[in-house]
Amino acid sequence: MRAILAFAPLLGRLKGPILLTVLLSLVTLLAGIGLLGLSGWFLTAAALSTLGSAFNIFAPSAGVRGLSFIRILSRYGEKLSGHDMTLRLLSDLRAWLFAKLFPLVPLARRFGRGDLVSRLLADVEALDTVFLVALGPISTAVLAGAAMTVVLVLALPGAALVYALLFFAAVLLVPGGLVLASRAVGSEVVAAGAALRQAVLDGIDGHQDLVLFGATGEAATSAATASEQLARARRRLGLRAALASALVQLLAGGALLGTLVAGFAALEAGAIEGPLLAGLLLAVLASFEASAMLVRSATRLAGAAAAADRLQAIANSAPIVAEPAAPLPIPPGGDMRFEAVRFGYDPEHPVLDGLGFAVRTGECVAITGPSGAGKSTIAQLLLRLVDPDAGTVRLNGSDLRDVADAELHQRVALMTQDAPVFLDTIRANLRIGRDDADDAALWRVLEAVQLAEFVRGLPGQLDAVVGEAGRTLSAGQARRICLARTLLSRADVIVFDEPTSGLDVETEATFLAELPELTRGRTAIVITHAVVPETFDRVLELRAGRLAGPTRV
Amino acid sequence: MLAGALLVAQAMVLAGLLHRAIVEGAGLTTLLPQVALLASILIIRIALGLLGEVAAVRFGEAIKARLRTGLAADLLRRAPTWTASKSSGALSSTVLEQVEALDGYFTRYLPAMLQAAILPIAFAVVAFSVDWIVGLLFLISAPLIPVFMALAGWGAEAASRSQAAALNRLSGRFADRLRGLVTLKLFGQDATETARVRLASEELRVRTMRVMRIAFLSSAVLEFFAALGVAGVALYVGLTFLDLVNVHSTELTLAAGMFLLLMAPEVYQPLRLLAAHYHDRASARAAVAEIERELDALPGEAAPLAAVATAAASTGAATLELRAIALADPTGRPVITAADLMLEPGARVAILGASGIGKSTLLEAIAGLRAFGGDIRIDGKTLADFAEPLLRQRVAMLGQRPRLFAGSIADNIRLGRRDADHAAVRQAAQLARVTDFADALPEGLATLLGEDGLGLSGGEIQRIALARIYLRDPGLVLLDEPTAHLDAATEALVLDGLAEFAAGRTLVVATHSQAVAARMQKVFRIAGGKLLAAPKPVITDRSVGAA
Repeated sequence: MRAILAFAPLLGRLKGPILLTVLLSLVTLLAGIGLLGLSGWFLTAAALSTLGSAFNIFAPSAGVRGLSFIRILSRYGEKLSGHDMTLRLLSDLRAWLFAKLFPLVPLARRFGRGDLVSRLLADVEALDTVFLVALGPISTAVLAGAAMTVVLVLALPGAALVYALLFFAAVLLVPGGLVLASRAVGSEVVAAGAALRQAVLDGIDGHQDLVLFGATGEAATSAATASEQLARARRRLGLRAALASALVQLLAGGALLGTLVAGFAALEAGAIEGPLLAGLLLAVLASFEASAMLVRSATRLAGAAAAADRLQAIANSAPIVAEPAAPLPIPPGGDMRFEAVRFGYDPEHPVLDGLGFAVRTGECVAITGPSGAGKSTIAQLLLRLVDPDAGTVRLNGSDLRDVADAELHQRVALMTQDAPVFLDTIRANLRIGRDDADDAALWRVLEAVQLAEFVRGLPGQLDAVVGEAGRTLSAGQARRICLARTLLSRADVIVFDEPTSGLDVETEATFLAELPELTRGRTAIVITHAVVPETFDRVLELRAGRLAGPTRV
Repeated sequence: MLAGALLVAQAMVLAGLLHRAIVEGAGLTTLLPQVALLASILIIRIALGLLGEVAAVRFGEAIKARLRTGLAADLLRRAPTWTASKSSGALSSTVLEQVEALDGYFTRYLPAMLQAAILPIAFAVVAFSVDWIVGLLFLISAPLIPVFMALAGWGAEAASRSQAAALNRLSGRFADRLRGLVTLKLFGQDATETARVRLASEELRVRTMRVMRIAFLSSAVLEFFAALGVAGVALYVGLTFLDLVNVHSTELTLAAGMFLLLMAPEVYQPLRLLAAHYHDRASARAAVAEIERELDALPGEAAPLAAVATAAASTGAATLELRAIALADPTGRPVITAADLMLEPGARVAILGASGIGKSTLLEAIAGLRAFGGDIRIDGKTLADFAEPLLRQRVAMLGQRPRLFAGSIADNIRLGRRDADHAAVRQAAQLARVTDFADALPEGLATLLGEDGLGLSGGEIQRIALARIYLRDPGLVLLDEPTAHLDAATEALVLDGLAEFAAGRTLVVATHSQAVAARMQKVFRIAGGKLLAAPKPVITDRSVGAA
């Protein structure tokens, strides 16, 4: 529940719409109570009035009609403003969460992707009930109940206490108890949903492997198990809600009977008039309309609390590298320097140990070495995705730990081994490298990576949409889109981590040979195990976390 | 329904009580039995309602679970080429969110519809017996409401459908962007992408509000009639009491009047409930449409889900025969027009060719993963003659992008043969050189892998996938770029292992690597849409650094 409160600042921005919604729903509820109460009073009074007596029918009938229309209008307005407010909040929440994710990159193994998608969509959406359902209706019900209690105190004191006790039990205690009782089940629902999503995503992304190994049956079974689990958890949640709603009806019945008995006693004693009693009874019945809704929402509130916990867990996890409090500017140029760098995921077995080298502006340098020698770790250090355990990485003399991430990423670009092609147009995919690149620049870079001809053959050319994870492209084409994107950036230093994996030997050789020309004026650091062409300035060989010494200078 | 009858009884008793107390001046003590009756009616009614709700929840959950399971199985039953052409985020959202959107339909809309169809009319008939004018009022105004609601409902449904599509797109986008979070961050796209997320979300809001405006309009129409009905009854009964309106021969008692007033909101209540849940129906229909759109736009070739093979497959190396094979790439462009190949048992061949020329497509066709023109025969039998489990026993394939699942390295290798014991897994891991890096990990082969094998390099993932195949006993082995991410030294070691495994099997390798090609007996090249024999390359030292 505390996690939900942590979202209060987001609510502050929507103060106006929230107040409007609560006000409108209060008007709706009070109009409903007034409508039935007035009708009951009017009817009884009319029945009791003797023939032809001067009974003013105009005021009550006008009141009945007026209240009906107020109720209709305010209900419509309340629903609209409530939903609009909620959806605005959802947009804020989504953007908030997405912005929170970036500093946490690389997310590594902390959160699976299926789980993350589930968090972003389902959890954020589960939170809407907190505001639309809990905040508004609870305050409305409490206010209306208080008003009704005051009326009873004035008109029928004997019933006021019973009514107040039962009403507040129905709107506060029962939903509150329901939230507590469904909390565990609520998190079970969320967890089962995430597991099912993971199972489905595994089945889709790994479909080919599952077919090849004849494991589709097992994958379907595991999805079915997760689905059953989800159904079981939801069923338990539904049963609790049904019980709570029955309890609320019991309380409403109790309040009605209590008012009835107290009313009859008062009537006998002559303390109250018949018409007023009839009106009050109907008003009491109408006031419980507020509680019926609270029960339905309380179950979802429990799920929302679990969702809020998970969202906060993401938001509050510490980034792997910390931004400096007062970042220093990076001097111009593209000099990269490693000074006695040590790094290890497991401190006992460092991947890099005492690594030192320098690459000067404009140089094109290859880093080679056997798999697992720490080549990709160098790329991560260059981009400050991780910090060294000891030693320093410098760009033009600045320690990377002293500069702003944003500036570093403008100055150093990386093409990772698993760089993705996004589900978007070719143009949008390329422009990730440089937002304002014009078509001419895009074609130039496509030409450079030998994709121009292919893209010209696509329907829509630059506007052709390429599939998720680039699956409508061949592996080689997908790699080249990523290459083009990286080349497009304005960075002084470009780091390539296995840029040619998946390319055939000829394309690989041509591309690598052209790389120094394509990156001329910029520093290029190419991590590869391909044959390094003569056009490169230098080759550094990595052996067991250290440089084996320049093999070619 | 019974609860409905009890509601009538409850209103009657309450009205009677009021009448006796107020008009006849009966004392509290004389009224107590009736108060007790009222209380018991209340309790029975609540208990009945509880039973009904529980039944609705059970029914709804059972249906949704069956649907989800069925959809997931259906996805797996399709051709992998079909799933590959889809956004996995959108597909998973279809199985989860869209099915969940049906919840309201089963647990709320259906029961509400049943009640709305019967209760108002029944109540009106009861009211008729008390006062025919009020009964008439109910009978006329109540059926009018669904008419208006249907009118309002049409628009709501169209809007609701576009909203479901927007929700699915949003989900697909998130999954896609999350996959490339590192790239987006490193290119400084964090602010832009966050803004785009907000934009997409706002688009969803605008669409949703369009649905809501119409959906709420239909309920406002209903409220209008309901309020009109209640106000009308109150006024009519009141005026009758005052004798300003008199169409009766007999006097209307307070009990009767109060009963009518109590019944008035109840006549409209089932309809209001129906209206409140009407957009549940609209969103359910939209969800069904979305499910159909996602799953049926491209009907996949249905095949039964793989079961463990029972029939004995032939053992030993397989023959492979390709005749006039024609294939198109995922965009529909023909890549191979007339490929022929004849491989004797135990043959080992490499297929070379520029990327995008159709090597992977050809291997996928041989493995029975995609449609093709021409004739593919394994052991002399066409692919169509193979039962799926038998085909999987005879043919093993390593794809270009093998997928690792959540679980340990050993679990992932065991996908090759689920009942393999630890020793067998370890042996396969050694042969595929997985142990080279896994043994350096604190937990060895038991090390858990994140999704997509995060934390492992491309070459390491490839070797785990290779180990899966080493657990099997296929006659034909198809490998797509098995050493793409490896350095020359590791590549040589992996190829040694492969040579050991491939002994007594037929092997086809699509590759860019000259080192791989040099180890095969024959080399083919895809050119001009055909398979052409090519000279075997001489091993060159690919790595300048390693030597």
